[in-house]
Amino acid sequence: MSDTADQTTSVPEPGAGQTDTIVLEGVEKIYPGSTQPAVSQLDMRIPKGEIVMLIGPSGCGKTTTLKMINRLIEPTAGRILLNDKDVTHVNGDLLRREIGYVIQQGGLFPHFSIADNIGVVPKMLGWDKQRIRERADELLHLVGLEPSTFRDRYPRQLSGGQQQRVGVARALAADPPVMLMDEPFGAIDPITRDRLQDEFLEIQRTVGKTIAFVTHDLQEAVKLGDKIAVFATGKLEQYDEPETILTRPANDFVSDFVGGGAAVRRLSLLDLARLELHPIETDERAVGNQNGTPVAEVDGSGKPVSWRHLPGAEASGTPLVTVPLSGTVYDAVDVMLDGSASLVAVVDEEGRAAGVLHWNDLVGGLRTRKGDA
Amino acid sequence: MSTATTETVDSQSDVAVLEEEKKQGRFASLWLQHYDLVILPGIIVVLLLALLLYIGTRDLDTIEQRVLAPDNLASLLGQHLWLAALSTILVLVIAVPLGILLSRRAARRVQGPVLAIGGFAQALPPFGVLLLMAFAFNFGVTTAVIGLTLAALLPVLRNTVIGLQQVDQSLIEAARGMGMSSRQTLFRVEVPLAVPVIVAGLRVALVLNVGTATLASYIGAGGLGELVQQALRLNRINVLLVAGAIIATVALLIDWLAGVAERIVVTRSG
Amino acid sequence: MNFLNYLASNAQQIIFLTQAHFLVVLIAVGVGSLISVVLGLAVSTGEPDPPRYSVDWFAAGVREGGLVFTAALLTVPSLALFALFLPITGLGVTTAIIVLIIYTLYTVLRNTVAGLTTVDRAVLESARGLGYGRMRRLLTIQLPLAWPVILNGIRVTTLISISIAVVGAVVQGPGLGILLLNGISRIGASNSFYQVLAGTLLCLVVAAVFEIFFAIVQRLTIPRGIRV
Repeated sequence: MSDTADQTTSVPEPGAGQTDTIVLEGVEKIYPGSTQPAVSQLDMRIPKGEIVMLIGPSGCGKTTTLKMINRLIEPTAGRILLNDKDVTHVNGDLLRREIGYVIQQGGLFPHFSIADNIGVVPKMLGWDKQRIRERADELLHLVGLEPSTFRDRYPRQLSGGQQQRVGVARALAADPPVMLMDEPFGAIDPITRDRLQDEFLEIQRTVGKTIAFVTHDLQEAVKLGDKIAVFATGKLEQYDEPETILTRPANDFVSDFVGGGAAVRRLSLLDLARLELHPIETDERAVGNQNGTPVAEVDGSGKPVSWRHLPGAEASGTPLVTVPLSGTVYDAVDVMLDGSASLVAVVDEEGRAAGVLHWNDLVGGLRTRKGDA
Repeated sequence: MSTATTETVDSQSDVAVLEEEKKQGRFASLWLQHYDLVILPGIIVVLLLALLLYIGTRDLDTIEQRVLAPDNLASLLGQHLWLAALSTILVLVIAVPLGILLSRRAARRVQGPVLAIGGFAQALPPFGVLLLMAFAFNFGVTTAVIGLTLAALLPVLRNTVIGLQQVDQSLIEAARGMGMSSRQTLFRVEVPLAVPVIVAGLRVALVLNVGTATLASYIGAGGLGELVQQALRLNRINVLLVAGAIIATVALLIDWLAGVAERIVVTRSG
Repeated sequence: MNFLNYLASNAQQIIFLTQAHFLVVLIAVGVGSLISVVLGLAVSTGEPDPPRYSVDWFAAGVREGGLVFTAALLTVPSLALFALFLPITGLGVTTAIIVLIIYTLYTVLRNTVAGLTTVDRAVLESARGLGYGRMRRLLTIQLPLAWPVILNGIRVTTLISISIAVVGAVVQGPGLGILLLNGISRIGASNSFYQVLAGTLLCLVVAAVFEIFFAIVQRLTIPRGIRV
């Protein structure tokens, strides 16, 4: 237990309490008729504007924890603070109107139109009709649904992915500082889910909410989370940034949970921009140089099209594949495997060569740029 | 029926409930599953006691004594049960095979209309059907049995068809997939799985017929309705109350027995 | 004299009795449904698994008990109930309506309970998560979503009540049963058969009128988003 306590308290710097939007102090939940706590003595701080992913096997208490934050489940003991205000004993319904809540399958009201669904909380808060309508349109726009097409439809006329977008819009309606999400993308097909996750990150960049997000999908946790909280039978096992969880699991439970694929998953966390890449030459005079720098042939706009010279290999036999600098190492590996190439040219936004990544670098250890790790 | 306390908020409390049920033991779980079968006989016993007490405290005149004499009651009860039993058997013999026939692929088209008419026919008064039979045939037990059978036919047919519809289609496909013929599928898979439905149909028919049989006295077929008719004719409130209580008790008791039988069959066939 | 002639020459009486039948059923089903729906709402529990000895737990008990009890009432033959109520409420329309109300209870209560409890859990949870209080949830989410099921229960109970109301003639309740009793008591006399036939068939006419009525009510009261 003391290990976990260290883990949880080590993350925010001292004196950062002011910026923690959600604070759980010694929170505990014991269901009636049960002797074992579903969540025991939980301390956790979620900093303002961050997405924290709660993950763990089923029955680990992650959902219970989430629902205690908006008191859908009343904690048996402990204290919950939102923006430094103790909300453990305030009126639950009023509290929940100030916290966004998204669940699996959206939970849209089937007998309300899409606009009415989004306007649910504003209406309870007494906004006037005009303002509610404008807000609904604005939010539909934000989540990528054309207001004029969708505002008067009913939930069953929408696909699962569209319903989930409306679910997010509804949670954002009254502009709550905090959002709770309970496996919102859990019941959606993988392709749509991937797109929704991208859009969700995009939206978060503009709205900057403090978000607690329950998932059972490690991939999702790694992709979306600023931090990940790994739960096991009512206890917080590790609470850290995704990269740390993957590379330095706090204990056997977490390393088992993260599983054997951790090394591969980690690749998707490493941005190419943060790597120290090998140099690349585009000047044909560099052909035959002795320092081992590959030389690429470029087209009129400076984009590399083929290899002119590859030290230690036959340039004409190796296809030139590229990956954008904004991608991750995972993307680079993907491109290399796909093109049967042992190296990949990393290109910047204009498509100009910025460096080279060799297949051997992956095994030999990737070097991140100094001072940036 | 055991919906009392088994839905859960979270898998954690799921475990808690299971543990709790284990602690409470067999008796409690039996009670939770079948308490409705215990409440009903309780009501019946109370009703019977009230009835006995009531008659015990009254001074009955000679007419009342004659009508309420045990052997008169017994013979009316006998007639009543005979009417109900006979018509129920007839209903089952006709309605269940007919229901199975209707559930065949070839008859699927007729199914919808039959269900719709069956639903609408609930408004057709059994009393009217019974009386019309008296015009077609004569007064008497045979006519009454025919009338009762006709009146209960559509509701039971409807129940059977719905029950067979509810047999899991994937099981039927699995059976066909293993190479069973459609006849084998019917008798080895569909009918056994529909047994609970057929038993439920039996219960429906029985309850309907016990009820309608009270009206058989209007076409001279006797039965417990005779008591009510006599009480009304003689203007004897005591007889009326006793008659009402006896009929109610008999009906509840028979429904209870059918309910127990149903529960046993359903439990056996999983 | 054929059946149509009979109908034509007795049109006034027949129309009067049909109207009376319709009204008795309408009043009984109306009152009975109101009682059942209000009762169903009152004993509906906000939680699917209410904690022991709480108000909800108690309500769940009342609900299950009420269902078992009203179901038992439905198996009691109508003649018995008419006989039992006659000494208390006398001959005539009061007894007829009271007994019909009793038969209405189970079907509507069962459908109300079923409708309220089968509302999608995700919908209820999101309502709670958005800050809907219990009453608001019950009246603006659960009730509208359960309404199609409740309405269907009322429809079914109406059909059953039409055929039960016939027996009400035994206690001199108004309606088509009077034609039946008249006919059978004059069996052999002219038109007695037509009388019984008319009484029986007109029940179906009353049923048809109610079906149309319910089709309209359905159209008007079921929210657009859940209409099938």
